[in-house]
Amino acid sequence: MNGDVFGCFVIGVCLQLQLSSHFFGDLLDSVIADVASECHRIARLGLDRNLDEEEEELRLSAQARARVADSSNSGETNSKYVVDIFGQTHPAVASEIFDCMNCGRSIMAGRFAPHLEKCMGKGRKARQKVTRSSTAAQNRHSRGSPSSTYSYSNSTSMNRLSNGAPGVTGEEYSNGSFEDL
Amino acid sequence: MSHKRSSINRPPTPDVDKDRDNQEPTLQEIINIKLIESGEKERLKELLRERLIECGWRDEMKALCRAYTRKKGRSNVTVDDLVHVITPKGRASVPDSVKAELLQRIRSFLGSATT
Repeated sequence: MNGDVFGCFVIGVCLQLQLSSHFFGDLLDSVIADVASECHRIARLGLDRNLDEEEEELRLSAQARARVADSSNSGETNSKYVVDIFGQTHPAVASEIFDCMNCGRSIMAGRFAPHLEKCMGKGRKARQKVTRSSTAAQNRHSRGSPSSTYSYSNSTSMNRLSNGAPGVTGEEYSNGSFEDL
Repeated sequence: MSHKRSSINRPPTPDVDKDRDNQEPTLQEIINIKLIESGEKERLKELLRERLIECGWRDEMKALCRAYTRKKGRSNVTVDDLVHVITPKGRASVPDSVKAELLQRIRSFLGSATT
C-alpha cells in the first residue's frame, strides 16, 4: 500500500475520531446546561421539596395534630367545629347534591348510600328500576334469584364484592349493564 | 524637525469584516455549520437527551443539583454553580453504549458531509 495514502488514511481516521469526540462533547455540554438551567429554575421557584421545606412541613403537621388533639371533639359528632389542615370545616352530613347515575334523581351526597340501597334493590323488596339497558337487567333477573340475592345480600357491601360476582364492580351495577357472571 | 509624513508604504487599516473573511473557517466550523443547517445537530441532541433520560443519568444530575441547593440555600444558587457541580460527574458517567451510539451517528454524518 502506498505509504502516503496510508498516512493520509490514518490522519483522516484520527481527525474523524477527534472531530466526532469534539462534537459529542459539544452536545453533552449542551444537555448539561439544560439540566442545570432546569434545576436552577426548580430551586429558585421552590418547586422541589428540599430539606428546609420538609422541616417546615413537619412542623406544620405537628401543629395541626396538636390542634386536633386540643379541641374537645369526639369524632364525627363534633365534626362541625373541627378545622382540617386547610382551615376548612365540614358539616356532619355531606350536603352536596348531585344526580344518581342509576335513576337520575337529584340526591344529597350524605343520603346517597341509603338511596342506592333502594335504587338498586336490596333483594326482593324495591326491585330494579328501568335502567339504560333494561334488557340486560331483565336477563339478570331471568337468570334466577339465587345469583341476585347472593350479590345483593349485603347492601352495605355494594362495592365490596370480594366473594361476589367475578369481574363485576359497583360501577358496573350503577350503569345497569352487567357482564357475564 | 519636520512633522512626520505618513508612510506611503503603510499597510491599509485592516477592516474588521475583511479580516474575518480572510480567515479560513476551520474544518470544525464548516462541519458545525453543516450539522446545524441540516438539522442533524438538533436530532443528535434529542437522541442524546432521550438516551440520558432512559438510563437515569438525568435523574442523577438532578439529585446532585438538589443536594447542592440544599447545602447552599435556594436563593444563593446560580446556573453557573450548577453547571460546575454536574459537569465532571456528568461527563464521566455517560454510559458507554450511549456514547458509542452518538459517536457512530456523528461519524457517519462526517462521512456523508465531507464527501
